[in-house]
Amino acid sequence: MGFRSRLRSFCNKPHNIILVVLFVALMLLTFLPLLSIVADTFTVHSSEVMRIRGSHVGSFTLYHWTKVLLDGDTSVSIFYRPLFNTICISFATCAIAISLGGIMAWLITRTNIRFKNVLSALFVVPYIMPSWTLALAWVNFFHNPLVGGVPGLFTVVTGLTTPDWFAYGFLPISIVQGLHYAPFAYILIGGILKNMDANLEEAAQLLYASRMQIIRRITLPMVKPAILSTFLLAFSSSMSAFAVPAFLGTPVRYQVLTTQMYRTLQGMNPGYGYLMALILILIGVSIMLLNQRVLDSRKSYTTITGKSSNVSLFNLRGLRNPLSYAMGFLLLCITVVPLITFAVESFIVEPGNYSLSNFSTVFWTGEGSVDIANGEPGILRNASILHGLVNSFVLSVCCAFIAGTVGILAGYAIVHRKGHWLSNAVSHLTFFPYLLPSMAMGAIYLSFFSTPHGPVPALYGTFAILVLIGSVKYLPFASKSAVNAMLQLGGQIEEAGIMMGIGWWKRMVRIIIPIQKTSFLSGYLLPFISCMRELSLFILLITPSTAVLTTMLFQYNEKGWNQYANAINLLIVGVVLLSNFIINKLTGASIDKGIG
Amino acid sequence: MPEIILKDVTKMYGKTAAVDHLSMVIPDHSFITLLGPSGCGKTTTLRMIAGLETPTYGEISIGGKVVFSAEKGIDIPPEKRGVGFLFQNYALWPHMTVYQNITFGLENLHWPKDKMEARARELMAMLRISEYRDRYPSELSGGQQQRVAIARTLSTGPSTLFMDEPLSNLDAKLRMEMRAELKRLHMETGATFIYVTHDQLEAMTLATRICLIKEGILQQYDAPLTVYNEPVNMFTADFIGSPSINLVPARAGQTVDGGDQLDFGGEPVRFVEAKRYTDAPVTDGKEYVVGIRPENIVIRPEGRFSGKVYSTLPSGMETVVKLHLHDQPLTSVIFGSVDFRVNEEVRFDIRTDKNLLFDKESGATVRMGAIKA
Repeated sequence: MGFRSRLRSFCNKPHNIILVVLFVALMLLTFLPLLSIVADTFTVHSSEVMRIRGSHVGSFTLYHWTKVLLDGDTSVSIFYRPLFNTICISFATCAIAISLGGIMAWLITRTNIRFKNVLSALFVVPYIMPSWTLALAWVNFFHNPLVGGVPGLFTVVTGLTTPDWFAYGFLPISIVQGLHYAPFAYILIGGILKNMDANLEEAAQLLYASRMQIIRRITLPMVKPAILSTFLLAFSSSMSAFAVPAFLGTPVRYQVLTTQMYRTLQGMNPGYGYLMALILILIGVSIMLLNQRVLDSRKSYTTITGKSSNVSLFNLRGLRNPLSYAMGFLLLCITVVPLITFAVESFIVEPGNYSLSNFSTVFWTGEGSVDIANGEPGILRNASILHGLVNSFVLSVCCAFIAGTVGILAGYAIVHRKGHWLSNAVSHLTFFPYLLPSMAMGAIYLSFFSTPHGPVPALYGTFAILVLIGSVKYLPFASKSAVNAMLQLGGQIEEAGIMMGIGWWKRMVRIIIPIQKTSFLSGYLLPFISCMRELSLFILLITPSTAVLTTMLFQYNEKGWNQYANAINLLIVGVVLLSNFIINKLTGASIDKGIG
Repeated sequence: MPEIILKDVTKMYGKTAAVDHLSMVIPDHSFITLLGPSGCGKTTTLRMIAGLETPTYGEISIGGKVVFSAEKGIDIPPEKRGVGFLFQNYALWPHMTVYQNITFGLENLHWPKDKMEARARELMAMLRISEYRDRYPSELSGGQQQRVAIARTLSTGPSTLFMDEPLSNLDAKLRMEMRAELKRLHMETGATFIYVTHDQLEAMTLATRICLIKEGILQQYDAPLTVYNEPVNMFTADFIGSPSINLVPARAGQTVDGGDQLDFGGEPVRFVEAKRYTDAPVTDGKEYVVGIRPENIVIRPEGRFSGKVYSTLPSGMETVVKLHLHDQPLTSVIFGSVDFRVNEEVRFDIRTDKNLLFDKESGATVRMGAIKA
């Protein structure tokens, strides 16, 4: 066959075209910007010209590298201390997340604890809610007047002033993030425990092993890969977390890599910021590669899922009731109570004064007066907040539509050419954005799209760049569920359509999509929710006209306009919980999908 | 003397009974199969005897010792019942080597290292898995995993061995091989074997006695050949034997010449009784079902019935022939390498006096006898 006819036959197949287009597009949207950020670490930026002697904008320099990595005390305060803080927090976060999640998973899957459904549902709420929710709640409760402002609820009620180390910095950040990622550990470990063949433990029991021996010698080794995997994922997530350290660390100048990156990129030293983004990406990618290896070595464990019949539940006996109620109470404390504090805080006029006369709806429906927050009107009649809400919504819908659709096509094409190098390359490329820490990805796009490239104008400051980065960032969700759906479907269903002479478009719309609509739908909906609650991805790329709810929340909080921040947060949490609930009812999918 | 006695054992799941008032005695050294269609409660029965499942009521004793009694509140945990259990999916621990899997139970009994080593060697030699000693289960084939599972179960020398469809994950050839080995193992260990299966052939060939269960209720508990030749009801007759027994509806007529007249697929025949299972007479006008084993339908030129060949399935050793007697389909097994043409008219006889007559309404066996034209 000649080259021309081979090319024609190649192009006749829709999946080939999809793969080629995706390959080119993703190379342009992920790898090229990555190169741009590398270049930026060696370049003099306009705000740095004054400091770097004898330089002009755009010239080559090693200044950023030497200052950040090699310049003694300066490097320590710019980079090494934040790095150290980041690592400490990540370890503590993982420890908290895994122990809480692991215990919860064991309680739910292996004991006769009461209210399993309710407890399980409550436990995953912190993961569904934006990560900063608990941080704001912590601030509402425990903030102290030492860093300025008014005392929190705790101080008002008890009269005790919370010390700095308790109110801000390492401890609360670790606890809040630990609680946020605990559901993640719960889902992974619980999934294994639930699917693990009960016969494995019964076999040990029949061979005279005691309860403790069974846990130590059989159960723990079986869940070890899940624990390791949770550890790595939670570690890399908390390394790249921005919102929580920004809310709980910044007031006492407790810096981590992401907050430091934000500071330098927004300030006078973008070169530092780009370099830190690069380092964050490198760490993130290596952790994910490590995780891949851990998962690979689990191959021998895939045989463990048998017909997992009736697990005999561990009888908690006398502890059953106390433990059930205590867990319920604790979980209410970390899920419902924060929401109540947001509501309360958003209604009081003078912060710190919780007497009834101080309650007012001024921050919700007030017209705005000069003496409160520069005359900002209440959030329900505030044009800029409504604008933010609309922006958030439009942005989420756009990202979800693009990510979901491209995800379906990607999944279809990847599975169709499984094993082919192009398919493998596209499969890896669609997954790649998942490896990029959100904020670093924001930095990449900031670096790449602040100047025009060929026919593409400079996109910084436009709404388009937000749509673009959101779509690329959430593509992994959609493509992953589509790949699974297609693998599950198998080729023969479509081949039956081909044999009957049905065209590609009709095959997709009438056969493939209807059969796997649930998976495909979740490929649209997960990006939607994620986008609604995203802060660190957008924070570097936002301009006042493109502000979304989350970035407004962040800005109000920075300004110290607590009531607005709380009110907006309530709005976001409401939208996120509601959409997660609707999605769950409609499709059975959910952010916390895993075990039910 | 591990004689196992079940008294009135019942297991309820909500309002449905998975096992319904099961009583049986399993003698020492026997090889019992619990047989029945899937979901009939046979696995639940096995797991209750082993202690992995708690009966709702009833009593179980092993070797004269009550291990479970709902009334007396006794429930001895599985590890104290001294039984071995072979799981359907082997349940080998994937993170342990073959050797570690086999010696795990001995470790828990605090055996000294050298004795443990010797015991493991002996078992691995017996089951021909010595060369896989340091492999992980995922590196073994299905048959090898099966052997490791057996070795692990035997390691502590249980006097009773429970097996839950242990061969169902193996391919046909390996299954045949393992059947022979299990029977051999039963001889060598002298243990009592209780074996769950839904494969009637496996039950027939392995067991000393078959316990046939349907929807949680014990149907028949007898030696394999007794179950085959003298099933207590239509279900048992139909479940045992491959190809299945011919069940032909027949209306009884008057009694003539010591035989009951039957309308047999449009052909008038006489059923001459050889053995009766109930004292009630065969009533004129009542509906019955005649049961004829396929090997008792013999195709020969001088046969008294005439039928048309519908299809044939020759396998070399035997040929399964589907016949139509008027509109009534019948299955016949002809031994030897013979074949017939489809739609060919053939003549056949129904031989022996071991044909069965069932009450159509209750399904119970009422007579055994010969069918005469």
